[in-house]
Order: sequence, then C-alpha cells, then structure tokens
Amino acid sequence: MKQTTLCVPLEVKPESCSRLCALIDALCLREDKDDAGGTQHFVRLTTEMPTLHFMSMSVFTAAHYDPTFILEANFDGPPGVFWGQFEAVFGPDLREMLRCCKKPLNEDGPLYEAVTSADSRTPVAPYLEARTRRPSVFHHGNRGLTRDRILSEAKLLGTVRNELDGTDLSGPSPYRGIEATGLHRALRERLLADHPWLNEPPPPRITKGERLIDYLRLVVFAVVVLLALSLPGLVLALLLGRSTYVALMVVTALLMGALVYLKRQGLPGTQVATRFNLLTFLAGHWLLLGLLVVAYVATAALLLVPGISAVTWLLDRFGAGRYVSVFEAFWPVAHTVLWGLLSLIVTLPFLVLWLRFLERRDTSHDAPHVDERLLREMVRREDWVAQNHMGSIVPIRPGILRTIVIRAGHLGLGLLLRVKATSGHLGSMRTVHFAHWAFLDNSSRLLFFSNFDHSWDSYLDDFIEKAHVGLTLAWGCGVGFPPTRFLIFDGASHGRRFKSWALASRAVSRFWYSAYPELTVDQIERNNRIANGLREASLSEEAARTWARDL
Amino acid sequence: MGEGSVSQTGKRQPTWKLAQAIASDTQGLVVTGFGHLPNGRALFLELPAGSGPGGGAWLKVLEVVAPVTPAVPPAGDEAVQPRAAALAFTWTGLERLRLPPTALASFARPFREGMMQEDRLRRLGDRRGDEWQDTVIAGGPVWSANTPRRPPVERHVGAYDVAEPCKDKVVKTDLSVHAILLLYTETADDAGQWAAAVREALRPHGIEVVRELELLLDVVGADNVSREHFGFADGLSQPEPFDKDGFVFLDGTKVCEADRVQGVPLGEFLIGYVNGHHESAPGPVVPGDGWGDVGLLPQHEAAQGFKDLGRNGTYMVVRELRQDVAAFWRSMDENAAAIQARDPRHSAHVTAEWLAERVVGRNRDGHLLCPGGYLKADPSGQPDNRFLFHESDPHGVGCPPGSHVRRAHPRDALAPTAKDRQTLLAAANNHRILRRGRKFGPKIADDRTDDGQVRGLLFMCLNTDIARQFEFVQQTWLLNRDFATLSEESDPLVGPRGRMTIREEPLRRTVQVLTYVELAGGDYFFLPSLPAIRYLASL
Repeated sequence: MKQTTLCVPLEVKPESCSRLCALIDALCLREDKDDAGGTQHFVRLTTEMPTLHFMSMSVFTAAHYDPTFILEANFDGPPGVFWGQFEAVFGPDLREMLRCCKKPLNEDGPLYEAVTSADSRTPVAPYLEARTRRPSVFHHGNRGLTRDRILSEAKLLGTVRNELDGTDLSGPSPYRGIEATGLHRALRERLLADHPWLNEPPPPRITKGERLIDYLRLVVFAVVVLLALSLPGLVLALLLGRSTYVALMVVTALLMGALVYLKRQGLPGTQVATRFNLLTFLAGHWLLLGLLVVAYVATAALLLVPGISAVTWLLDRFGAGRYVSVFEAFWPVAHTVLWGLLSLIVTLPFLVLWLRFLERRDTSHDAPHVDERLLREMVRREDWVAQNHMGSIVPIRPGILRTIVIRAGHLGLGLLLRVKATSGHLGSMRTVHFAHWAFLDNSSRLLFFSNFDHSWDSYLDDFIEKAHVGLTLAWGCGVGFPPTRFLIFDGASHGRRFKSWALASRAVSRFWYSAYPELTVDQIERNNRIANGLREASLSEEAARTWARDL
Repeated sequence: MGEGSVSQTGKRQPTWKLAQAIASDTQGLVVTGFGHLPNGRALFLELPAGSGPGGGAWLKVLEVVAPVTPAVPPAGDEAVQPRAAALAFTWTGLERLRLPPTALASFARPFREGMMQEDRLRRLGDRRGDEWQDTVIAGGPVWSANTPRRPPVERHVGAYDVAEPCKDKVVKTDLSVHAILLLYTETADDAGQWAAAVREALRPHGIEVVRELELLLDVVGADNVSREHFGFADGLSQPEPFDKDGFVFLDGTKVCEADRVQGVPLGEFLIGYVNGHHESAPGPVVPGDGWGDVGLLPQHEAAQGFKDLGRNGTYMVVRELRQDVAAFWRSMDENAAAIQARDPRHSAHVTAEWLAERVVGRNRDGHLLCPGGYLKADPSGQPDNRFLFHESDPHGVGCPPGSHVRRAHPRDALAPTAKDRQTLLAAANNHRILRRGRKFGPKIADDRTDDGQVRGLLFMCLNTDIARQFEFVQQTWLLNRDFATLSEESDPLVGPRGRMTIREEPLRRTVQVLTYVELAGGDYFFLPSLPAIRYLASL
C-alpha cells in the first residue's frame, strides 16, 4: 500500500498567534480525553480516520518571519480519502484556526474567503489541499504496512503470547520440547480459527511496479546529473582534438586536485576523525560504479541520439548537411558521451573547491537562542509514550552553489531512500516512523518533521553517533550548522553544538497523534515477521528457528 | 547490580591515574572508589539559610576534620591512606553557600533543575503525572535537593496574548540535602568515630546531618570481589578513560588512545578535557570580581572576565536504592516452579539460581553468561570484561537480551548486522558512567526470609553530561520497554514488575519479575575540584 506524507504551511496573523496556539491546545485536550471514562486516547481519530498513522499541528515562530501554522499528516493511500475523513472530524475546528491565518494574496484568496467567512459551510479540506506542500525528502519506516495491518499484527502478538505463556494456563505446555517446525505448525493451527486471514498470503508491502519506478527514477536522476556535470566535456570533446582534450582535462584535474588537497583540513579545532572514508567507500563499490558508467553512457546516448538524428534530418532537408539515421548516430554519440564523462575529473574537483571556499567562510551558530518557555512546553509533552515528535524549521544558507547542491541533494537523497530504505533501517538505525523535509517560503527555509521512537536526545544521539555523514549532508545547508568539511564531515559530529542548534529550531508539537503510540518501528517489523511466518502453511526447520526467535 | 555498583577491591588489574599536574587539584573519588577502605559513611548535610558573606566558612572547619582526598596518592601508594573523603553539593547547597546568582545559572540544566523536576522524574521512570511509580518507596522519596520550582519565565505581556496558566508542579521531599560528605575508612569503628567528629565540628555552624548511611564493601572469598545484597559480584565493568592530550596514565604510561572495548575519553568524567563530543563539557563559571577569593580559580577560556569553577570537577548522580532481597529470591523460586509446572520434562536446569543469573546476566562470581556456560576468566583469574555480545552471543541465547548487564552497557549488542558492530560499540561508549556506588545496611541472614531491615545500594556515578550519560542509560537502555526488539519489558533487576524474556532454542521462556529495587531518595550533585572547594570556602 502506498503511503502519503504531506504538510500544509499557513502564515499566521501575528495578532492571532497566541489564540491559535490556545485553540490547538484545547483541541488536543478534547481529543486526548476518553469520553467513556476509559484510558484510551484520541479514540475519535482512531475510529473515524482509519487511514491515519501520524498527524501534528504546530506553530513556528521566528525572528524574521511571521508565525507559521503547519499541519503535518502521514496516512495510507492517496490524499483524497484522507481529506474526506479530515473534514468530517476536524472541519469546524480547522475553520476557526484558519481564521487565525493570513489570507493568501494569490489565487487561493477567494477560497480562503469562502472557507473563513462568518457562518461559512464551505468545506475546509479543499483549501488545505490547495495549500499542501509535498516533501522534498521523506522516509517511511514500516513502508507499505497499512495502519490496520500494523494494529492487527500487534494484536496477533498479544494472542500468541497468551497462547504460549498465559498465566491462567496450567499443566504441561504443548509448545515445549518440540522442534521449531512443530511449534510453528501447532501455533498456526491453534490461531487459524480466530484469525482466518492467516490463510491468505501477505499482501505485498511494495508492489513490483512501485519498485521498478523507484529504480527508474533514481537511474534517470543519476543520468541527468552526470550529463550536466559532463556537459563542458561534451562540448570540448567535440571542439578539440582528442589528445588536446585529454591533455587539457588531465592537467586541469591535477591542478584542481592539488588545490582541493591543500584545502582538505577542517577549520582549526573543528576536525573530527570519523570511521567513514569516502575513497574506501567508493573503492568498495567499484563494480557498481562501473555498471553505472555503462548504464549512463547507454542511457545518455539513447536520450541524445533521437534529437541529433532529428537535427541532421532537418539540416538535410535544407541541404546543409547529411541526414544521420538513429542507428548510424548511436556509436559516435556514445563515444562522445564517454569522452565527455572524462570531464568529471575536472567538474567535480571544481565544485568541491568552490564548496570548500564557502565552507571555510561559513559562520556557525554556537549558542542559538532557545526560548525557555517554549522549551518547557516541548519537554512537558515528551516521553509519555514509546514515540515522540519533533518539528523544526531552519533558514537555508544562500548562494547559487548551495541552492543547487541542496535541491539536487534532496532530490537524490529522496530517490535513494525510496530504493534503499525499505525495511525501516536508515544505516544501522531503525527508529523513524515517518519523517520528511520540505522547502518553505520560496526555498529560503527548510522544514523537518519526524515521528520517531524513544527520547529526542536519544534520537539525535543516534544520528550523531551512527549517521553523522548523512545528517551533515542533509542538514548542513542550514544557517548556523556546525562547521562542515566536504559537505559530509565534521558538522553533526560536534554533538552538543548540533543538538543545541537543532533544539533552537524546534517548535512545540501542540497537537500530535500517533495511531500506535506504544509500537516502535522495530516492534512493528518484528510483529510483521511473526505474522508473515504464521501465514505460511509450513516452514523449513531453519526458517522456523529464525521465525521462533522473534516470539 | 551493574546500575549501582560497589567498587572493586584488591589488587586486580592496574588502575588508571591522572597526570600529576591535575591530580592534586582533582578529588580522589574521580580516579578510585577507595576499594582498600571497605567501610564508610555517607553524611547528607543540610546547610543553614543566610545572607551576606560567610556561607562557605564551615568548609574551612571541614578542611581540618575531614579534608577532601586528592587524586594524588601520598608517597606513591594509596594503600597507606587510612582515611579518605569526598564532598559534593546540590544546586540548593551551592545557593546556601551563597554562590552568586550568575554562577548558579551557569550549571548544566539537569543539575539546576534537580532530579525531582517532574519531566525528569518521568524520563527516569520514577513518576508519571501525579503518581509515584512502584520503583519508588511508598509515599515517594524521603530526600532530595528540594530544588525550588523553576522561576517563571519572564515574559513581556503582549497585546494579543491568550492567558496560559503556569503548569509547573513542585515535587518536594521531607528532607533537603545540600551536600554529601563521603567518608571511607578501614574499620567500621573508625567510620563511626570520624562521622561523630564531623557532626560535632559542623554543628556550631548550623549544619545538620539529616541522613546518615553506613557504607560498606562486602568482600568475601579469595577473589577480592565485592557482592551486592542479592549476592552477585559487582562493579566489574567500568569505562577506561583515555585522553589524547596525555592526562591519563596507566601503569606509568600515557593513555592517548581508546581501549577497543572500554575506552572512553577523560572529558566524559572530568570537566576541562576532550569528551565524546570532541569538546570540553561546559562547566560553571563565577564572575571574575567581587565574590570570594577568585584568585584561587583559573581563567575561563571562553567567558572573558569569568573564572572557571568547573575545571577538574564533575557531576555526581546519587540515588539511594533499597533492595528487597527476600522478595527477589522468593520470586525466582516461584518463577522456577511455574516454569517446571508448565514444562516438567525439559526444565530440570531451571532453578531460582539459574533464573537469577539470567536476570543479572552474570553468575554470582561475575562471569558472563555465554551460550553453553560462562565466559572463561581472564589470565589473572578475574571475570573477563573485554567481551562483546554480538560476536559470541548475537541472539542472547547465553546472556538474555534484556538482562541487567546487557541493558546497562549493551556494548555492540544492538548492532543489526555484523558490519555495524564497531559503530554500535563506539555509540554505546558515548553513554558511559563511572560508578562509585557502595552498599548500605546489614547482610541478610537467609535470603528467602524478610528480616525487616533496610538495605540497599547507594548508587553514585560520575559524568560530565548528566542527560547524555546517566539519564540516557536509565531511560534508553535500562527502562526502555522496547530495548533490543523486546517488547513491554524493562530491566528485570532494577525496573518495575513485568515480563522478562529468556532466549532458548527453539522457544524462549518468559518469567514475571517483580519490583525488587526502590528509590528512597536522590539528586544530582556537583563534585568540585579542590581549588573550587577552597574558593567555596572563601564565600
């Protein structure tokens, strides 16, 4: 099942900011309480919005912007169904909140008027839909598991446990002293009566079509990037003789490389030794890189050939040249593309040098201001359940190179995550349910939302200790980020400075809903393995042993 | 119990030392648990309120009757010291010493707010909302620093503000503790006499000893290992500091590189040195003029015109934990009986002892549980502590994944794959504490019969970043209900009642553990350097 992550950023009337916060707080209190007097939380959302995984409402204040109200939602299926459910549950509440927001000055203005006028009955969802932002990068921890499946598989674990070691049971247990296969068979037989769905094969979490599209997108992205980087080479290779071209490339590359080498050190006192080494990482993936080159040349040539052929056909029509057919053109074009690729040894070091120039002049914010009142409000809401929530907005460093790097970087990272992070693991971490980045205010600010497991501190420690390279790459573009080196080094390794920087960018998660607040990503995957095992009519002894380890 | 650990004694492996240049400025407790002095007292002091200068005058008296022991052993051998002392203050204690307000504001947030701050209590598993949890003695802890409610955030009232009530709650304890004085002696008699002398000397200054615990190391047998009240060897796994600038020595040589398993930067335990985040942990400062004899303190590196109060000091977490020995062993008996009833043919090996070993993760002598037995002793005959979990026992078939030692320091156990082991080990070492606990109360005669006596462990640990070290260990490892892909279970030894999974092939066993350890009091202390104590005495 495909899942959707979106956010709706809305500018707030400064005069109504405090009112809006109070409205969100009141809404949270109302939904959190169990009217039936029980201990259930957010019952109405759980029953009336059955596709919803996580939802939050926060108000971000900033020194250089008016407050921003942001609704974040993560749900199963396309947005249409979600907005319908949302309208039914939150319509009237949102209308009052929208009245605290500014009227957009573009074509959404009339819709805003219609929704917020006194006694309006116009649905609010279409307005929110019109103001929706799609994430630049997103990550789904238990990708493809619907909310209902997560809940029913968690319930199954409870049943399994009761069956295996319920306290009301007496006498010898039938599950002891047998092989894993026997255990699997016995348990499955016992559970089938109440869980007939165990007879059905597990629905695929990610369909083959989806998977294919994920890969295709990444390949197209890589080809376009390489093509862009080798553009100077393509032109020069055509203009200059081959030996002149190669000589020029090698000499320039050596020069660039030497300059980069000279500037390789971190700023004084900021360099941190890391286990990650880019060169060994690349060397370890040489086969992949080789395949990528072949794929690139073939794809780029295929992309370019029809255009070139068409141009020669046109020229031929006007008598200015000879028509070259698609088949004739392929090899010369492929050759040129391959030679053009050589210019990567110049363009890459050039970009790195430019980046080092910027990095060595960046400022970092050592002691960002943290509003004590907001901090207390954040902490008061944290660590009640297994999960927590954070929202953050940071301004983005200006400049043409940074803009290109962050745009291309986010696009690439997003596509890569779709291909690689399919089992919840981000590197060696598995604590993120739904997280996303999105650009705000004409890409001058970067929004980040995460629904994660355990405390905020442990979540950030995880990143600092296990994924500082990726984190520095993704967030290092933020104004005030600790000093970085080559885009990926140092940066987030300065744990305390990074944490205080991240803390200062946060807002209070005034309304936050999780459909399964006590389940971690890791648990959901475990429950899924147990359920999938039980859906099998029989398992091999080895598979059964692995399966039984999860019980 | 690994969480609160009794110091080891005897001549085991060589212990680490500080470079001479800083050792004389640092409290001895940082480098040693005074294992050669098996007796002792913990005196919890309440200081008088007052104003004007003179708040620290009593420290000059203390300097005579119980001088704080430096980290440099006299005449080269610490074993000749018949007495040792350590001293630390809570935030309210420093306020009573009349430290200037800016200095009081310069301490780390956890210390300023105290352990009894409501959100912190929730993270530590002690209290949720208005309810004390069952890992706390009935009625709540009896002592703490009683740090006052955080001052209301100064707030300009804006034209469009919507009233928001202050929601901070105050959690108070009967006793207020402002300082802790730890006395270590060879004999129990000497401890009693010394404590009486200290009481006597401090009384004229209005200082009350509001609580006193008799501390002891209980070394039985030839292995020189002390045992906590449940009967298990304790204090075995400690971090081994190193310092890239050469301030740590082991056996006379500088330790500049991390030990593969236990290596942790010195800055994790001492302010002023490089820590796990590649910087010196932020420490407190005092204004460079007007308050006390600031000439005793070094210049602060970043804050121009301020003096460095933190250098060579650290934070100490103290939690008085009561242990119910009879409940522990009876519960093990019941669980063993329950398992045997459900599985009469294959559970001959499941005894109370077997279960208790799995709860702890080691046997009574301290040898780690491994698939098929125990880890072999190291060449000196002591329990080996250089092991890694993922290597030898990835699924926790030997040492259960949720056992106390595995939770208290998972080493590489949380690595999802073998190639992540090194990363996870390094990550785990970013959350280490230096344990300095000692047990209190008499030994139980029969471990199945409750004798009505109060006994337990005075858990003490040193760290420079309370949130990232002690609180992380407590929240993210010990009490984490989803630790290591387990679910709905906590630390079986120090956590609340609940399930515990013991892996066996093909099917795990589960036991229902109860609450055996309860919090009776606690707070965060600042363990100052010796120059800082002399400065405080000048206030």
